[in-house]
Amino acid sequence: MLADREKILPGDDVWIPTVCAGCYNCCGILAHRVRGRIVEIKGDPEAANSRGYICAKGLVRALDVHHPYRVTRPLKRTNPEKGIGVDPGWKEISWDEAMDLVGRELERIRAEDPRKLILSHFDIAGYRLSGAFGRAFGTVNMHWNRADYCGSASHPAWLITNGTLNSEVDFERCRYVVLWGTQLGHMVNTISLTAAAGLAEGRRRGHKLVVVDPFCSHAASKADEWLPIKPGTDGALALAMLHVMVCELGVYDVSFLKHQTNGPYLVRSDGRYLRDGATGKPLVWDLKDGCAKPFSDATLADPAIEGKFSVAGATVRPAFQVLKDYLATIRPEEMARICTIPLERIRRITREFCTAASIGSTIQIDGHTLPLRPAGIDFKRGMAAHRGGWNSCFAIHMLNLLVGAVDVPGGQRGVNPVGPYWSAGVSEDGLIIPSDFIAKYNKPYPGRTAAPPQTLDLQELFPAALFTRGLYPLGIDEPEKYGIPYRPEMMIHCRTNHMMNSHDPAAMAETLKKLKFQLSISLFIDETTEFADVVLPDAHDLERWDMFPANDPYAFIAPGPGQWYFLLRQPVAEPPGDAAPWTQIYLELAERLGILETVYRLGNAMWNLSEDCKLDPKRKYTMREIAELQVRSIFGTDFDMGRFARSSCAVLRPKTVQEAFPRMFLPSRVPIYLEYLLGHKQDVQKVLEQLGMQWDLSCYSPVPLWIPCAAHADDPEYDLIATNNKVPTHQFSTTTENLWIDEIAQANPYTYSVMIHTSAAQRRGLKSGDLVRVESRYGSYTGRLQVTELVHPECVLSSGTFGHWAKGLPISAGKGVNHNALLPKPTLDRIDILSGQIDMCVRVKVSKVGE
Amino acid sequence: MARYGMVIDLKRCVGCNACAAACKSEHNTPAGVFQTKVLEKEMGRFPDANRVFVPVLCNHCERPVCAEVCPTGATYKRADGIVMIDYEKCIACLACIEHCPYRVRTLVRDRRTLYPDGRTPFEKPVHQKIRDNVVTKCDFCYHRVEQGRPPACCEVCPTSARVFGDLSDAASKAARLAREYAGWPMMPEQETRPCVLYIG
Repeated sequence: MLADREKILPGDDVWIPTVCAGCYNCCGILAHRVRGRIVEIKGDPEAANSRGYICAKGLVRALDVHHPYRVTRPLKRTNPEKGIGVDPGWKEISWDEAMDLVGRELERIRAEDPRKLILSHFDIAGYRLSGAFGRAFGTVNMHWNRADYCGSASHPAWLITNGTLNSEVDFERCRYVVLWGTQLGHMVNTISLTAAAGLAEGRRRGHKLVVVDPFCSHAASKADEWLPIKPGTDGALALAMLHVMVCELGVYDVSFLKHQTNGPYLVRSDGRYLRDGATGKPLVWDLKDGCAKPFSDATLADPAIEGKFSVAGATVRPAFQVLKDYLATIRPEEMARICTIPLERIRRITREFCTAASIGSTIQIDGHTLPLRPAGIDFKRGMAAHRGGWNSCFAIHMLNLLVGAVDVPGGQRGVNPVGPYWSAGVSEDGLIIPSDFIAKYNKPYPGRTAAPPQTLDLQELFPAALFTRGLYPLGIDEPEKYGIPYRPEMMIHCRTNHMMNSHDPAAMAETLKKLKFQLSISLFIDETTEFADVVLPDAHDLERWDMFPANDPYAFIAPGPGQWYFLLRQPVAEPPGDAAPWTQIYLELAERLGILETVYRLGNAMWNLSEDCKLDPKRKYTMREIAELQVRSIFGTDFDMGRFARSSCAVLRPKTVQEAFPRMFLPSRVPIYLEYLLGHKQDVQKVLEQLGMQWDLSCYSPVPLWIPCAAHADDPEYDLIATNNKVPTHQFSTTTENLWIDEIAQANPYTYSVMIHTSAAQRRGLKSGDLVRVESRYGSYTGRLQVTELVHPECVLSSGTFGHWAKGLPISAGKGVNHNALLPKPTLDRIDILSGQIDMCVRVKVSKVGE
Repeated sequence: MARYGMVIDLKRCVGCNACAAACKSEHNTPAGVFQTKVLEKEMGRFPDANRVFVPVLCNHCERPVCAEVCPTGATYKRADGIVMIDYEKCIACLACIEHCPYRVRTLVRDRRTLYPDGRTPFEKPVHQKIRDNVVTKCDFCYHRVEQGRPPACCEVCPTSARVFGDLSDAASKAARLAREYAGWPMMPEQETRPCVLYIG
């Protein structure tokens, strides 16, 4: 066993510093252990991210550790039949027998074709470990989970502009904050505790907060203005705003566009860059010398961003002019009609945003004069999880880009694109690319070369995507349809619940049944674990060591000025029974398969271990030892690990101004015109032709398009659009088995309810408290109705991922509803062909089934 | 003598319920019983609708009607202003519940929190055990206050919307906030003179 139980901090009545995993934010906490049992949790005052605070989800987790339904022994399925409601006939077996069963299957398929293995989890702290395992094993099918729940479409928008995965707004300086399909700063989303405090201070100081959302969410409730948009029409609103900004108001940051973007790059009539014959570099027009030069030419004085120029007989326009000409064709009245926000209101909001951006203003920080752009827009899953998700994200972000409010004081900013051991790079064309450390797997720009799919999530057909994890069911069900040369047979599953978080459970059940062998490493027998052949008991995260930093810094260390801090997750108590951390189980399996050395070799790179901290292939390491080497890689080999007895947080040093506000210090430019997509479009087209498939590739556009959802097509019988929102007390479905959270949710009129607008209820003769059935053409749920003014009249709204039915989840069973049950297995018209994002909105009808 | 009170900044509160969870954890309150919670009230008509989040708890009134009507002396006011319930003396006659204008008192029939299979595997040692058949409410975490620590709900609040302090000390943060933002009590017409004040 590669266990390290003996290293748990001792004491009969102690507070042990560790890192919360109630969501993905990794807040520093102190857990109180009395005589071996965890009894309470509070924020760690010395942790730079939580500063002694903690949210409801984190605070209550002492209960979960003691949940009587936890799996504590390995289980084997005795009933070969699998399905919803089918009793697996669990039989307790020994750890060794379980590992033998799993090991034999793994050895068999590794010998046949290692790609038959799918690794599936949503545990961000462990991605680099399972990534190393997967590569060592030889599979490409890594990380089937519902990460597209939030970010398939939105992460690329930031990766190609901010050079990092996540986004925030400079709450300290911002005067005009727009939250678009996100509730950043309202105890959901990333950086939650610092963002909540920052936004609360901003409200006190008198910033303006505008929230775009079909539902008057917690964020919208705190906003100065709620823009209640029709679900999925965010791209239309953004394009209307862009039209007003550029074509009506004529407001944009000329200096920023000239020197910090590809706005001056000359574009040919076919949409591609005009390149220098000698260097291949994109050309720009120098207004001073009246000629075209490579963008990097040292003599370039005044690049043109507007106008039309003749170069070597061809008429070319700067990219910004192309964008401007395109925006002139947008009809704002039409966009306003689509998104249902009155045009006059759109005009006023845009004017306010432009004014607040204060183009031309500067601020002195540490001796540097930087632009001050105190207006910023953050956006995420609510607006992104639609068919036109990628284009809508880029349209919204364009509002930030055109006023220069990106990674400078006051505006929108990426989460730490530059750090102590990583930095955003620059492409041949002079544009920003995220560091290898940040991008981890794929870089949406420059992207990869399209090819016939080898991976079950079909990612090869999405060369400009970050990940396409929602598409695994397509590859698993019909690999031959996509030319995938093997059939998947095995899945190692933990910490994600496909049955709940994807689509119609009946369809997902068919997908899971196609896998001959499923190992689930689980805390509970949830709906997906019910399909397992072998279950190994997982340790709670309060019972395990974790990778250090416990979470990746591109997402969860507060961006902007402050300190570089990193947190260590350490166990507070021993796991019960045979339970072991899934990460340790991965290492044990690697050892059994004889691939541990390769895991170490790949891990050395994935974990960025320094020369004197690299794993020695001849040794064996526990998770704690690996975490310690990671600590020493960052803090130096003489770091005193004893410091973690006091706080899980260690501070490296203050951030420099270049790290806090990187834009003006970076050698790269930001794209406002996505020329590179045209190349990808051609490549994808060729591959599709080989496969005999036809996709509409119009979304591969250098300028952002309005792309409607399937749910926007008329369907008189299904006359409402269903969507869902996040609540601050719940995180995915992981919080639903907590007694206290459940009490709070039950006491809330909205959390477990189905919501429709008063007018929609009146037309149907429905009232609050009615039992209603919400039905799409693909699935349905039944829940209690709450009639409200807080929701768009064309919308049916529910919260979170509820409505569990597994016998192993006694608290959450039957409470709330599951929006995802309304969705079909992804079909072409419900996927963003560019990013792989699944469209989460769907047409439904609502009818009463009981009082 | 101190006059303990709380100032709740409605502009800062985002309705996240960390306070409600912290209170449950601190006091191990019975299933479904909240000594503090966040009320949500819908305001206005679409598209000008809104939801307001109002954290509520015992107001620790200067003139506590609950204590006036308590026949056994179970509810009493301490010299520092904290209104207490002595669970030994409470006979659950419900007079206090009937007379409290703020509806922040709850009758406890069963003090346990149970898993659906009837087990209670977790029980944190708490400073004062709530019993069956008593009335319960917020006690301002007096056991913490006596140690110089803020009530659990104030310590946890991610937006610092709840501030505990001595309202009679003009230099305390609570008194300063109440002064600066003209803090108001709930239902002043009841003339109970709450020590929980709201600002917004």
